[in-house]
Amino acid sequence: MNGHDDAWLDSVAVLALGALPENEARDLRTHMLDCEICRNEYAELRVAADALALAAEATPQELGGAQCARLKARVMDAVETDRGPAAAPSDSRVVPMRSRGTARVWLPYAAIAASLIIATFTGYSAYTTHAENDANRQQIALLQARVDAQERAAENARAELALNQSRLADLIAPGSTQFAVQNGVVVRSGDRVLIALRRLPTLPKGKVYQAWTLRRGAKAVTPSVTFVPDATGLALVELPGSAATFAAVAVSVEPEGGSKAPTSKPNFVRPLS
Amino acid sequence: MDDASLLMGRVRERDAAAFEAVYDAFYRLVYGIAVRMLGDTMAAEDLTQAVFLKVWSSPGAFAGGNFGAWIARVTRNRALDVLRSRSSRAEGEIPADVPADGELDEAVFAQLDGQRVRSALAHLPDEQRLPIELGFFGGITHEEIAKRTATPLGTVKTRIRAGLKKLRFELEGSLA
Repeated sequence: MNGHDDAWLDSVAVLALGALPENEARDLRTHMLDCEICRNEYAELRVAADALALAAEATPQELGGAQCARLKARVMDAVETDRGPAAAPSDSRVVPMRSRGTARVWLPYAAIAASLIIATFTGYSAYTTHAENDANRQQIALLQARVDAQERAAENARAELALNQSRLADLIAPGSTQFAVQNGVVVRSGDRVLIALRRLPTLPKGKVYQAWTLRRGAKAVTPSVTFVPDATGLALVELPGSAATFAAVAVSVEPEGGSKAPTSKPNFVRPLS
Repeated sequence: MDDASLLMGRVRERDAAAFEAVYDAFYRLVYGIAVRMLGDTMAAEDLTQAVFLKVWSSPGAFAGGNFGAWIARVTRNRALDVLRSRSSRAEGEIPADVPADGELDEAVFAQLDGQRVRSALAHLPDEQRLPIELGFFGGITHEEIAKRTATPLGTVKTRIRAGLKKLRFELEGSLA
C-alpha cells in the first residue's frame, strides 16, 4: 500500500476503534508509516475512540457495597501476596558506616580531602533536596487522588439519592395512578412510569430482573431496563420512555445484560389502564 | 504530568499506598469496561484483578502519557484475550489489539469524564452509535458488525468514521 487514497480513511477509523482484523491492521499500520494524511486522521479519531472507554465507567449501582469491598480486598490481597521485599527508598539518607582504620596524618592531602567532602556534601544535599521535593509532590498527588476519588464517590451517591428522592416524590404525587402488581406497584406519574417492588428474591449469579413495555398498538413487548434489588430486596426503577406510549408493563428474570425477548415466565404483566 | 502518573512513580518503588490510590481512582473504569465487554460480573472481577496486578507487578509497562487512557487500553486488550479464549468466538471475529501506547491528544482526553462521553455518545444517530459500540465494547471486527446489523461492509466503515468524527467534535464542544 503506497501513496494515499481517501478510501483508506474509513479503514483508519476502524483501526482507531480497534475493530480491524489483525491482518488488515498490520497492513494499514505499515501504510501509515509513510502516509501523513492517514496518520493525522488516526491521531484525530484515536482520542474519540479512547474516550469511549470512559462511558463504561461503572456507577455505584453497578459496582457498589459488598461487591466493591470484596473486589478491592481481593486485589489488595493479591498485591500483598505478590509484594516482595521493599526496595530501599531512593531518598534514603542512611550512610553505611565504614570500619575505622589506623589514624594517620596526611596534611598535604587533608585540604583536598576536605574540599572533596564539601563538594560531595553539597552535591548530596542538592540530590536529597530534589528527592525530597519529588517525594513531597508524590505524597501530595497521593492525597489529592484519594480526595478526588472520595469526592467522585460522594457526588455519585448524592446524584443517586436525588434521583431516588425524585422517584419517591412521583410515587406519592397527587394525580399519580397506581397499579398493584406482585410484590409491589407500578406507578404512572405524569409522563413517567416507575416500578416499586419489595421483598424481591435474591437472584442467582448471572441473573437480573428485566422490565418490559408493551407499546400501544404493538403485538410484542419491548425490552426495557434491567435491575437488581438492594440488600433488603427493594427495587425502585424508572422506565425510560413516555408513559403515554405504554399499554402494559411486565417484569421477568433474565440473564445478566438483558434479553431481546423474555426468556422466562414474567413475574407480572400489568396493563396500564 | 497528571496525579496518576506521579503515583505510578511511587508504585515503581513498591509503594502499596500509592497503588491503593491508583486502584481507588480507576477500578470503576477497569471493571466497567470489563463487564461491558465480557457481559459477566465474575469474569469482569477476574479481569479487574489481572489488570491491577499487572499495574503492580509491571509498573514500567506504563511509559507515560495519560494513565486513564493507558489502563483503559490495557483492559480492553485483556478483555479481547478472554473473548479469543472463549470457544464460541471464531478467530476472525476478534479484532487486533490497539497498542496501549500511542498517539493521543492528551489535552482533550485529560479533561473528559464518563458523563461527558455518555452525553456525546447519545447525540450520535443510532446508525453511527451502534457500530461504534459494537466495535469497541462488543470486541468484534467491522465484518462481524456488518453481518450482525445486516449492513454493507463499506457502509459500516463509513458510519464508524463519521460517528467518531462527530464524537470528537461533540467532546471538544463540551469542553469549550
